[in-house]
Amino acid sequence: MEKIILCIKGVPKPGTVKVDPSTHTLKRDSLELILNPPDRQAVEMAVRLKENYGFKITVVTMGPPNVIPFLKEVYGIGADEMVLLSDRAFAGADTLATSYVLAEAIKKLSPYSLVVMGLKSIDGETSQVPAETAALLGLPSITNVKTIVKEGNNWILIRQTEYGEEELELEPPVVASVLPEVFDYLRPPSLKRLLEVKEKDPLVFTAQDLRLSPEKLGLNGSPTQVVEVFEKKFEAKGQVVEGEPSFLVEKLISVLEQKGIIHP
Amino acid sequence: MIEKKNLEELEKGSLLAFGEIFNGKIHPSAIEVLTPLKELGLKLDKKVVLICLMDNFKSFQDLEVLKKSVADEVWMVCHQELVHFKDDLYAEVLIEIVKTTSPYGLFFPATSLGCALAPRIAGKLNLGLCAHVNYLEVEDGKIVMVRPTYGENIIAKLILKTTPVMATLSIGAFSPSFGEKEPKFFEVAMPEGFNWASKIKVRKFKPSVKQPNRLSTAKVVVAGGRGLKSKENFEKLFELAHMLKAEVGATRPVCYEGWVEEDRMIGVSGVTVRPKVYIGFGISGALQHTVGMENSEFIVAVNTDKEAPLVKMAHLALIGDASQVLDLLIKKLKK
Repeated sequence: MEKIILCIKGVPKPGTVKVDPSTHTLKRDSLELILNPPDRQAVEMAVRLKENYGFKITVVTMGPPNVIPFLKEVYGIGADEMVLLSDRAFAGADTLATSYVLAEAIKKLSPYSLVVMGLKSIDGETSQVPAETAALLGLPSITNVKTIVKEGNNWILIRQTEYGEEELELEPPVVASVLPEVFDYLRPPSLKRLLEVKEKDPLVFTAQDLRLSPEKLGLNGSPTQVVEVFEKKFEAKGQVVEGEPSFLVEKLISVLEQKGIIHP
Repeated sequence: MIEKKNLEELEKGSLLAFGEIFNGKIHPSAIEVLTPLKELGLKLDKKVVLICLMDNFKSFQDLEVLKKSVADEVWMVCHQELVHFKDDLYAEVLIEIVKTTSPYGLFFPATSLGCALAPRIAGKLNLGLCAHVNYLEVEDGKIVMVRPTYGENIIAKLILKTTPVMATLSIGAFSPSFGEKEPKFFEVAMPEGFNWASKIKVRKFKPSVKQPNRLSTAKVVVAGGRGLKSKENFEKLFELAHMLKAEVGATRPVCYEGWVEEDRMIGVSGVTVRPKVYIGFGISGALQHTVGMENSEFIVAVNTDKEAPLVKMAHLALIGDASQVLDLLIKKLKK
């Protein structure tokens, strides 16, 4: 059976990221993780392809063991196999060091005919990992994908850019990143599958399992270096007006008149 | 006619920028990103080069725009296979140029094509790549890049250990500028054995039916956030925008909620605006949004929360329910 590799990521829940003012580093203890929302679109895409063509889905994520619940959630939605890429040496990886681990893991999971990922993660928002991983695998990458169908042996993908929609044809395998907002309905995990996965553990690949070069891993293997992080603080600088809505609107209208936006 | 040059004859160690061309027209972001690169170029004593890939020079319509740009040189690669954007082929052309001319920097506007192309090159050449940079500076002879991160009110300063320094630059974050001296134009002759094949076959193209919005150049922006509470309320912004000759902007959460399309998103992964007047309805002001509007001339915030960052940065803050104020404002303006 042909295989789809589905990559997902656990990201900090918005609002839980804080900077430690003394060390200028991120406070890890306040972090709460969620499944990266754009990845849900990739999950839905993979599960629809499975329904239509009978693929097997292998869901892959990189991170410490606290991301296992997301693998199980995706299993509940329809994945068939779970793989966790976990090693202390992976910590602090930028997109290149992350893509290196993903690409090596994907090679080990060969053969496959499609790799799907979300367009971007909501923490780094780089949208680099799909294309970077594809480049390392020597495969074509198509970003901003809204539709994927098979025609004979080939993939037909529709990519949306600001200019319009392109219909592309490629031989497998291909790496695709799925546009957010493609699917209005994202199916929830099924209870049956969630019960089934309770007893299952993901396959774990460490750096050694993948025979990775230590100098390409984690913080040290990352060419992108953070010199400083700081929190932006705002000081009140303008006029603050309180009162009934009608009073506020009067104030706003007079400002719009002053600025020449509307004319009395 | 423009002079032809082989790869080996091109200036080495420069700052290169990708000039995105579609249908014979240059994307405005190409002119924007030249502004900070020119400043870096002067500080670091490097030439600034715009690279344009196209199918044929005759179909290029924006030569006059490029003549007025601040680039020192424009390198054009013309080949019939470049008629459509193909990620793998476009990346290979740029990789070949990078390998031969060893640039000091390689920059892309963060358009969807720029974001598709840059990581392919970084991956293939094992280079670091910064995303959504909105400020660049030189410290100790090194390029330091600044970007908001973690989708919160957190800013990161980054450097790269690899050369060329690579980054995608936020759209609208830099103003276009114009040079006094016309850049030198060269057509780049790719090496004899260069492989123009792509694994991507473009079968069909359907151009966008809707006109791109004019958000980034609007004089007045009315933006809405989650404080408007519903899609229905949000949509009233379009009525207001019509009355004020304004454009409608949005925060990331409401775009993800599906209240409005993502091309209206202001901020890190969206558009940067600098209108005369910006009015934010029910927007608390996460950095993700505010980096995209903080240079507005006059900022109005309408929010119930006095402590919200946007309320603090506003020139005029109206403390109240955003949807009530919006309703009433529309009603009064109708009179």
